[in-house]
Amino acid sequence: MGARAYKGDETTGFQSPAQDHVEAVPDLADLLELRRPQRYAVRVKGEGLRSRGIHGGDILVVNTDAEPRTGKVCVAFLLGDVVLAVLSEKDGQWWLEPANHPAQPVSDHTEVWAMVAALVRTDV
Amino acid sequence: MFGLIDGNNFYVSCERAFDPTLIGKPVIVLSNNDGCAIARSAEAKALGIKMGDVWHLSKHKPEYRGVIAKSSNYALYGDMSRRVFEVLSESFARVEPYSIDEMFVDLTEFARADYCRRVRERIRRVTKIPTCVGIGPTKTLAKLANKHAKTASGVSDFSDLDVRREAFATMPINEIWGIGRASQAKLNNFGIFTVEQFAALTSASVRKLMTVTGQRTHAELNGVSCLPLALAPSQRQTVAVTRMFGRLVETWEDMREALAAHASRAAEKCRNHGLVANAMVVFFHTHPHNGDPWYHGQRSFEIEPTSDSFALIRQAVRAGRSMWRPNTRYAKAGVILLDLKSARDMPRDLLPTADTVRSEKLMAALDAVNNRFGSGTLRPGGIRQVTPWSTRAANRSPRYTTRLSDLMEVRA
Repeated sequence: MGARAYKGDETTGFQSPAQDHVEAVPDLADLLELRRPQRYAVRVKGEGLRSRGIHGGDILVVNTDAEPRTGKVCVAFLLGDVVLAVLSEKDGQWWLEPANHPAQPVSDHTEVWAMVAALVRTDV
Repeated sequence: MFGLIDGNNFYVSCERAFDPTLIGKPVIVLSNNDGCAIARSAEAKALGIKMGDVWHLSKHKPEYRGVIAKSSNYALYGDMSRRVFEVLSESFARVEPYSIDEMFVDLTEFARADYCRRVRERIRRVTKIPTCVGIGPTKTLAKLANKHAKTASGVSDFSDLDVRREAFATMPINEIWGIGRASQAKLNNFGIFTVEQFAALTSASVRKLMTVTGQRTHAELNGVSCLPLALAPSQRQTVAVTRMFGRLVETWEDMREALAAHASRAAEKCRNHGLVANAMVVFFHTHPHNGDPWYHGQRSFEIEPTSDSFALIRQAVRAGRSMWRPNTRYAKAGVILLDLKSARDMPRDLLPTADTVRSEKLMAALDAVNNRFGSGTLRPGGIRQVTPWSTRAANRSPRYTTRLSDLMEVRA
């Protein structure tokens, strides 16, 4: 076992003026609220929502407890598939507009699983 | 007032939360090593699949053709259990996680069924897991109400005497928390079959029949609360790591590695709870049902108090070696640590044979790395990541909520 990790505080020669001020790197799990029960991370497959700035390979952080809103992107169970879709409401009926499918009314056979809340991209 | 909230077919519901192809189908989850059915969807129950059915023996029945059998995915179930707990903690002042899929809550301030109904809907929305809620003035009544809720609307309130009376008349005594098969048989002999009949007995006669534990159950059924909410688990007495092998083990090298891995995992659990072990049991045995001659080797012995992986591995391997029999096919092995004491309370040995300070530092580093990068990242020498004896889990779903490599995929 070698030296302890150096965090900018404990030096061997001159005493570090930062000693009482060192902080950890920012915690992205905090920012993305990943520890909250309603937050889930999912992975995007496909490029159908580039127009909304969502690329294949992106990680989306979604919220299962958010109110559905017109124009927002959601994760939905649709015909046995897990898809991204744009939500819209027309005359009291909610519709899902997936990228590569015709719009579908939200019914007993579809489920709005969560609303997209944040995006993480690591290959910029 | 207490509430008991439990997840319906919890493991199956966790699987369905992330896989729409499982919805509406007969789905079961298998125990470790893909052995027995330990969770069943309603559709699977309707087909006649029983809890504990050995799947590889029954799966060829024609009526089970469409059944989807998943390997257990405890990383997922544990995280979903955490989420349920968190949602409950936002809604109730005190929550006791009783098991992975059952939580007691303190309803003193919210003894209302419609409040519970709203929480139940929120759990469904947040975690996708359907639940049932039982309400009662005692834990035993809350638990019984929860059973009743399964056949009712999902929420049953046994604080209401009329509801209780009506339910008691038809519920069999084996639905009562704490009445096992032996007590049931005894009571049946006396002509007691329903909860109503049991509750009507005198306390003294219950004590004569079933000792003080039965008397407590009886009092709780009659609305006298004897069991408060427990907010922290009681200190563990033992740590056991025992596994059926994925395939039979025939060489000492494989057995040595299995014992080392079990000892290492047991040591880790010990350290997680700040405990040290004072005694150890090591065992392995052949398969009880495959026709091989039965051999069961077991050693129990005291050890110098420790939770050091390397020390425990040495002991486990030495004990295993001493009872190893060649030309034998082993089906299961285990390491059990006993007589656990809080590490802080241990008197320091005057003449220790090991350097405890050095050991503590090394173990802390080991645990830190495994916590950060996933369990099994740093392993004591000689334990491979994937081994021939590893548990079988042929159809395990991804660890959707705990690994970046396993996230649910959404198509765009």
